[in-house]
Amino acid sequence: METKNKIIVDGVSFHYGPNRVIDNVNATFKTHALTAITGPSGQGKSTLLGMFNGMWNDTPNARCTGEIQIRLGDRWISPLKKEIPMPLLRRKVAMIFQEPNPLPMSIAKNMAFPLKLAGIRDKNIVKEKVQRAMKQSFLWEEVKDRLEESALNLSGGQKQRLCIARALVLEPEILLCDEPTSSLDAKAVGVIEELLVSLKSNCTLLVVSHYMDQVRRIGDQVMALEDQGLKRI
Amino acid sequence: MQELMEKLAVFLSWTMTLVLCLCLFIFLSYLLIKGLPSLGAELIFGKAEPLRVLLGHDRVFDGIFPAMIGTFFLVILSAMLALPVGVCSGIYLAEYANPGMKKLFGGLFDILAGIPSIVIGLFGFSLSIFLHNHFSDRFGPCLLISSLSLAVLVIPYIVRSTQMSLEELPSNIRRTALALGATRLQNIAYVLIPNALSGISSGLFLAIGRCAEDTAVILLTGVVAMAGVPSSLLSQYEALPFYIYYISSQYSNPAELSNGYGACLVLLGICAVLFMFAYGLKKHLSYRMLYRV
Repeated sequence: METKNKIIVDGVSFHYGPNRVIDNVNATFKTHALTAITGPSGQGKSTLLGMFNGMWNDTPNARCTGEIQIRLGDRWISPLKKEIPMPLLRRKVAMIFQEPNPLPMSIAKNMAFPLKLAGIRDKNIVKEKVQRAMKQSFLWEEVKDRLEESALNLSGGQKQRLCIARALVLEPEILLCDEPTSSLDAKAVGVIEELLVSLKSNCTLLVVSHYMDQVRRIGDQVMALEDQGLKRI
Repeated sequence: MQELMEKLAVFLSWTMTLVLCLCLFIFLSYLLIKGLPSLGAELIFGKAEPLRVLLGHDRVFDGIFPAMIGTFFLVILSAMLALPVGVCSGIYLAEYANPGMKKLFGGLFDILAGIPSIVIGLFGFSLSIFLHNHFSDRFGPCLLISSLSLAVLVIPYIVRSTQMSLEELPSNIRRTALALGATRLQNIAYVLIPNALSGISSGLFLAIGRCAEDTAVILLTGVVAMAGVPSSLLSQYEALPFYIYYISSQYSNPAELSNGYGACLVLLGICAVLFMFAYGLKKHLSYRMLYRV
């Protein structure tokens, strides 16, 4: 398979019980590119994103057919066949949700949390990775003097940047963003868009968004999920 | 008409709250008026010298010091036995059980919560006889059997408070940790439990209060009127609830009854100290787990 491709989706369908949400989707997503996925509400955009990191696994009565191949390092793996444990997959295929969701912990604890889950406890390594991720997310200068404060006290835009930084701390190869700016004000949206574009050199991004002007602004490739199918526009 | 109903609802709520506060005020004031005159070293240490008693050189025969120590050990031991079992069961119900199991075990725990304390005391007594007959003469009604019986009594409170506080956590908190690569166990240990500590500790407070006040269980499982400070888990012991019970039923003069009220104040004080300890521990754990860099 081509090394320029990062994700290959082949004939994937998704069902919640008797309801078919996504039908026979085919797509390829390029490495170090930002692919924007748009479409009307309820078409299954978030569901599609969740299929790449197995977040649908615990959903009752959910069923997925078809094939998804993701290249992690030099190896192609299929998340649908659970070829690697889900926690390992999710460290490499990170996800940002629509609502900024910092954990009810201090800023520092939020940032160090993924490293703790991965078993990285060396304080120097943790400090270095946390600082790097926060600088990548344009957040370090704003919060470096108040790392022990609750992350819940940050503004909406800062919370979302914290969530992005937290996802970046384990250096994921793919970043899935499910409408990352929909709950933010215009100024914060601009900052997040600039941040996402800057991350292309580090990872492959898939960004779901309702807003056509936004997807055209930031996307190297724009796809629309409509009538259960995915097509390039 | 609707506005009248709204005002009536507010009025009723306020009134009932005030009635409850008034009852509490009357209750505490009555206890203080009756019990404060007897509070002092003589109530606690009797005729023995306090320092010699505290250093273990002297025994107390006519004070409540042994009962205070017995109650303290009883509550701590019962809580230590009940907490891990209750919390683990609550975690199972909230995080692992399917709906059918949740319903079944939830029903069983509700039945356990409804068992009268005297029945649990009788079971504890039977257990002590069984152990005495089949294992060792050393077994009998004792501090350990009382603690085990009280633990069984309070486990349902801890189970329910743990289960409810875990289930009430917002779904975005669960989803966040899983999306960051947490296993199920890591999610429970590092995120869910620390954020549910307030709810779990409220179950612990209820358990502490129940262990400190219950007389029926300890009547059958090891408490006596005169045993001194308990020397081991297998020894009989004194306890404040039992002291209050027998002094109020067998007092021969007003001074003795006043001692009973004084013992009530001391029991409330012990409970308050244990609550504050549990609260402080929860705060410290919360800060350490969630905020300290």
